[in-house]
Amino acid sequence: MATQIVMDQTGDTRHEFDPDNAEALARAEQRFRELTGAGFTAAFRTGPGDVTRIKSFDPTVQETLFYPRLVGG
Amino acid sequence: MFAAFRFRASARARMHALRELYRRFFGENTPDARGRRLLVEWLSPAQRAQFEQYRYFDVTGCDSGKMYRIHYGTAANVHQIDCDGHAMMGWCFVPSGFLVPGDVMLAQKIALETDENGALALANRFPTATHSEHFYRRPF
Repeated sequence: MATQIVMDQTGDTRHEFDPDNAEALARAEQRFRELTGAGFTAAFRTGPGDVTRIKSFDPTVQETLFYPRLVGG
Repeated sequence: MFAAFRFRASARARMHALRELYRRFFGENTPDARGRRLLVEWLSPAQRAQFEQYRYFDVTGCDSGKMYRIHYGTAANVHQIDCDGHAMMGWCFVPSGFLVPGDVMLAQKIALETDENGALALANRFPTATHSEHFYRRPF
């Protein structure tokens, strides 16, 4: 199972999907597009503590994290 | 009478255990606790050890190689530091929305490690004397 983790006021919301299921994969890709379109940044871990940002949906990524648009505090 | 006393004592112990279980369950499932768990999962082993000991961790900016210290908090919690760990400048940038400290810190880490210039371009600078170390060392 792959997971999309979306930061929110509850801490985070997790969406799990089976990458081998075409329908679930399409839903995950749609979610990715909606979130990044709304200004979220998507990232995944490449090693312990190492992170890479992604701009387009990658079905091979096991865990994708989304955080909202950054603003000056 | 002795049996009644023993019954009351065991009921009290059961109630105490239940209360403790309830406290732990909800304590570990608060947004705050979930945010901290997510943060810790995404830190490097060195950052995790630093965070657990000091409530902050250091990151290296991907563009300049400068060091930043991210303190536990949701605003004005990022300091640029020198090689001795002394704060030189404060940078304030946060994810929009009202996120918990763990989430804010993780977003700041990812931003500095993957798009330092982009993060600093929208950040507000502040003098490091604004908050003392004590301010950031509040317990969870």
